[in-house]
Amino acid sequence: MAATVLKRLAGAVLVLWATATFTFVVQLFMPGDRATMIINTQAGNLQNPSPEEIATLNERYGFDDSYLTQYLHYLGDLARGDLGVSYNQHQPVTEIIAAQIGPTIVLTVSALILAWVISLIITVLATGRDNVWSRAATGFQIVTAALPPYWIGTILLVLLAVQTGIFPVEGDTSVIGLILPALTLAIPLSGFLGQVTQDEFERVLEQPFVTSSRTRGMGDLGVRLRHVLRHAVLPAVTLSGWALGALFSGAVLIEAVFSRPGIGGILVQATSGRDIPLVTGVMLASAVMYIVANLLVDVAYRYVDPRLRTA
Amino acid sequence: MTAITLQPRAARASRTGAFLRSVPPGVKLAALVVALYVLAAVAPGVLQPHDPFSTDLDSSLLAPSLQHPFGTDQSGRDLFSRVVEGARQSLAIGIGATALSFVIALVLGIAAGLGPRLVDGGVNRFLEVLFAFPTLFLALLFVAVFGQTVTTQIVAVAIGTAPGYARIIRGQFLQVKGSTYVEAARAVGHPYPRIVAQHIFPNAMRPLVVMFTLGVGQAIVWASGLAFLGLGVAPPSPEWGALLDAGRNYTTSAWWLEVMPGLAIVLFALSVTVVGRHIQERLEGKVKVQAL
Amino acid sequence: MTRRSTVSALFSALLAVAVCACGSGGGSSTKAAALGAKQDSKPTTGGTIEYGHYQEPPCLVTTWVQTGYLTRQYLEQLITVDEKGEFLPWLAESWDISDDKQTYTFHLKPNVKFTNGEPFNSEAVKVNFDNWFSTDPTRRNGYVAFHVEDHIDKIETPDDLTVVFKLKHPHHPFLSALSQYAFGFLAPSVVKAGPEEWCVRPVGTGPFIVEKWNRGTNVVLKRNPNYNSAPGDVENKGPAYVDGINWKFLKDNTARWGSLKSGQSDVIYDIPGVNWAEANERYEVLRHITGGRPSQLALATDHAPFDDVKVRKAFQYASDRRKAVETVFQGAVPYNGNGALSASSPEHLKDLEDYYKYDPAKANQLLDEAGWTEKDADGIRSKNGKKLTVRIVYGAGSIISSDGSEFLQIVQDQAKQVGFDVQLKPITTADFFAGKGRQPGEFEIQPGYWVARSAEIFQVVWKPDAKADDGTVLPNANNTSRLQTDQVGIWQLVRQADQEYDDAKRTALYEQVQRKLVEEQAVTVGAYPLTVSLALSERITGIKLNASIGEPIFNDAYFVKGK
Repeated sequence: MAATVLKRLAGAVLVLWATATFTFVVQLFMPGDRATMIINTQAGNLQNPSPEEIATLNERYGFDDSYLTQYLHYLGDLARGDLGVSYNQHQPVTEIIAAQIGPTIVLTVSALILAWVISLIITVLATGRDNVWSRAATGFQIVTAALPPYWIGTILLVLLAVQTGIFPVEGDTSVIGLILPALTLAIPLSGFLGQVTQDEFERVLEQPFVTSSRTRGMGDLGVRLRHVLRHAVLPAVTLSGWALGALFSGAVLIEAVFSRPGIGGILVQATSGRDIPLVTGVMLASAVMYIVANLLVDVAYRYVDPRLRTA
Repeated sequence: MTAITLQPRAARASRTGAFLRSVPPGVKLAALVVALYVLAAVAPGVLQPHDPFSTDLDSSLLAPSLQHPFGTDQSGRDLFSRVVEGARQSLAIGIGATALSFVIALVLGIAAGLGPRLVDGGVNRFLEVLFAFPTLFLALLFVAVFGQTVTTQIVAVAIGTAPGYARIIRGQFLQVKGSTYVEAARAVGHPYPRIVAQHIFPNAMRPLVVMFTLGVGQAIVWASGLAFLGLGVAPPSPEWGALLDAGRNYTTSAWWLEVMPGLAIVLFALSVTVVGRHIQERLEGKVKVQAL
Repeated sequence: MTRRSTVSALFSALLAVAVCACGSGGGSSTKAAALGAKQDSKPTTGGTIEYGHYQEPPCLVTTWVQTGYLTRQYLEQLITVDEKGEFLPWLAESWDISDDKQTYTFHLKPNVKFTNGEPFNSEAVKVNFDNWFSTDPTRRNGYVAFHVEDHIDKIETPDDLTVVFKLKHPHHPFLSALSQYAFGFLAPSVVKAGPEEWCVRPVGTGPFIVEKWNRGTNVVLKRNPNYNSAPGDVENKGPAYVDGINWKFLKDNTARWGSLKSGQSDVIYDIPGVNWAEANERYEVLRHITGGRPSQLALATDHAPFDDVKVRKAFQYASDRRKAVETVFQGAVPYNGNGALSASSPEHLKDLEDYYKYDPAKANQLLDEAGWTEKDADGIRSKNGKKLTVRIVYGAGSIISSDGSEFLQIVQDQAKQVGFDVQLKPITTADFFAGKGRQPGEFEIQPGYWVARSAEIFQVVWKPDAKADDGTVLPNANNTSRLQTDQVGIWQLVRQADQEYDDAKRTALYEQVQRKLVEEQAVTVGAYPLTVSLALSERITGIKLNASIGEPIFNDAYFVKGK
């Protein structure tokens, strides 16, 4: 067991190193003179910086060093948990991200849970039955998968917050402020998770052990809940790690719609400000989240799958 | 395929009839909608009641009516005509991004699926790395580095979505490679390149047609997401995402500016999905028959 | 503001749904009652103002005007100015100007302390000016430098409470410049620590203290309990009445407006055009038209087609900009037809407002005269096989708002009717400031504003290009029209006016500059001024906007009792 964990951790470190290298390589392709850009962004005006000004910045950020030196510096700093200093905000990137990542994690995790709840309810009640509900459920899943989340979010915001005041307009961090954004994120995902679970659910329903349970006199809902569900959720559990990454994408848009604090706002601001250290920092942070999430999924999988537990 | 061309004319016609009868009405409707969108992209003038760029300050922000089915915007332009006009650019971005994404994914997927184990391992690792970045983050990284243009938008969406496709393609090739008919062909002694060309490639590629269809819908949603964040194409282009971004400020007073372009995107993504899923079901049916 | 509990929120929501047709009816009578209640009320203390702003700056001390609204709350200047153009004491109690107008002596207020305990004295003033003129680009203050660096010879500090500015030559706009937002002083220790410190923990002498900046969300401002340096334009000379300000960033127009309507904000900034009418019906509305250079379209004179004054004039006549502004902004922002100067600047010439009235016939005639006579199927003109294409390069989302972009699209469509092929080239904030698409020759039209109180802006935006010692041209990037004003007799007038201390004579000179820029050269196409607007709920009163660039002032603000 310890060996497996070690192996997994080593794999995670490897992926992390590779993501860091990838972001480093991509940012090298940025066209234009970086020092000039930083100076003018700082001044808020177009000017033609003097050679001294440019030299000051090149020295400060090491733009004149060879790529290899820059890369080694970057990796060395990274190993110490230092992601550099933001070009526009003049703050350590680590601090900026640390202050903002909390609300994003809360939002994405609650959306994931919500998506699970919605998809499970639909699956248990509707799968394998040919009635209005099952057809409505399939329709719901197809439609929700096609809804752009930011669009549905804007509409929910106007209807339920601005016009009727049921929910707060500003995305604060209270529980009630979380409902609309989490729901907006969860709805499309629930369609996807539901589809995967449903397919598996249908397959399991036909398994012999289900029939035998039924012959032992178990009620339909009981069979569905106690036996079928456990097996049917496995593929969706595996996908949850990936789903968390997808939710991060969605969160960027949803945070903008609901004026919520979080890493999405930072990323958008940094992108339009071409604040490369901050953009790459956020990328790495999300990669770490993804890796952690997948480690957790592994654990969850072992717990849910009875075969792996006894093994 | 060859079997069909040998059919007499009448039999072919009755086959077409049978085919049409076997398509559920919902799918037919969806196919009609997709056809309308394609028409809008190819020949927008046919569907446009007004010039999509012509401003009219006296008819600013009119609600939907018979004359302006989607209402008018701030400068008095007809929103319906603009949505129709936007189809060209939106579909171009969607198709362009998906096509580029497929090219990237095919190179990676085929190398991994058909190449030696070492390549497979390398590509797999690389995909794992790309997977660690959420789609939109990857897209934003590219916009940050290369600036904001239509090309960046297409490339950004392509790069963001490529890892997912690459993984599916790789799986598809591995599956076909290990299937019974390929093994049978091998046993008969067909040379490997011929097996690849005749069996593996066509069988592995077939489901990709469906994936492509579904992908275009998704790519349009992603691209409009970038536009929504203010990182999309330049005005006065009525690209759908740009329309949504512009409409955002009017949601409390001129709701149609946000709702109508959104519905246009939803309707397109929905129709494409319905059609794509139907084709998928048919193909799967065929594959099953073949395997028997 | 207390947060309602979930249950009661849901309950009231149900009620709201039941009652809701939402809005309209009875707005103005409620407003009248609220205004009456406000006038009758006496200042109360306590409470935190929920203030919904728009843009979030990347750093809490920058020279961008959008940061100026915020810095006003914690940084203070030597002097301020009122609506009549009178300069009033602030951190300087009084000042003298020598007879040769080359020595400005400021006498500082005694016993003023920065909120970290450091004393405010002449040394602090000098430290800040040295920092603004620094060659380190992350320290340098471009705004201050453009306005005064060319004119200051040296700064002397004969004693703790006296600062002497020795000028190289008389410069009348010197006081006007000092009264602007970018001249606010930081505590010397913070200056020394550099931008990493002042960007998040700026320390000044102001009525509020920056407690915390939650990026993407808000800046938490707390009252400075020891405040004793109130400027001449506020009534409350002591600490602020309110406990603090929750300065929130609500970039989305719908969210900002909704936040005011739902009571989550007491005040919001930048009332969206679509909500302007409703805002005036329901709320107390404050508006300030910012002076200096209005949002105008600068026509690049250094290359074709706008090197020909006839083509420039044709473009001026080609669009109905007055109606475009009225349609797009719905009254929230007025038309500013005189592109040389904002209507709120004291020297502004009113009769230039409609100098180029919408006249497509005249535009066509001028283009024909200029030789752009060939026309293609779309009606686009060309001359010697070259199309009449003009590119508008603009900072989207930063300099030009979404409403502004709508305005440009109308100009684009109307100019097309007389044969201009106008192309819009939006540039993101960072690229724009980095100069992308803005180098000479890369644009034919560049929209932009430059805030200032008055005509002192001329010496910044119309300064001709300089030449380096080796003869290379150093373009003045602020002069977006690329008009070399020294060659057409405008720059000489600007210099003369800036050194003229006789009010009537100086104003006459500035008026001459405007006429030459608008009537003779036609290099600047008027559009609309930068406009600050606030909507106040019935709960709050006493907020005002500064006369210089319209920063909100909260020294006198208080909550109305019983609301």
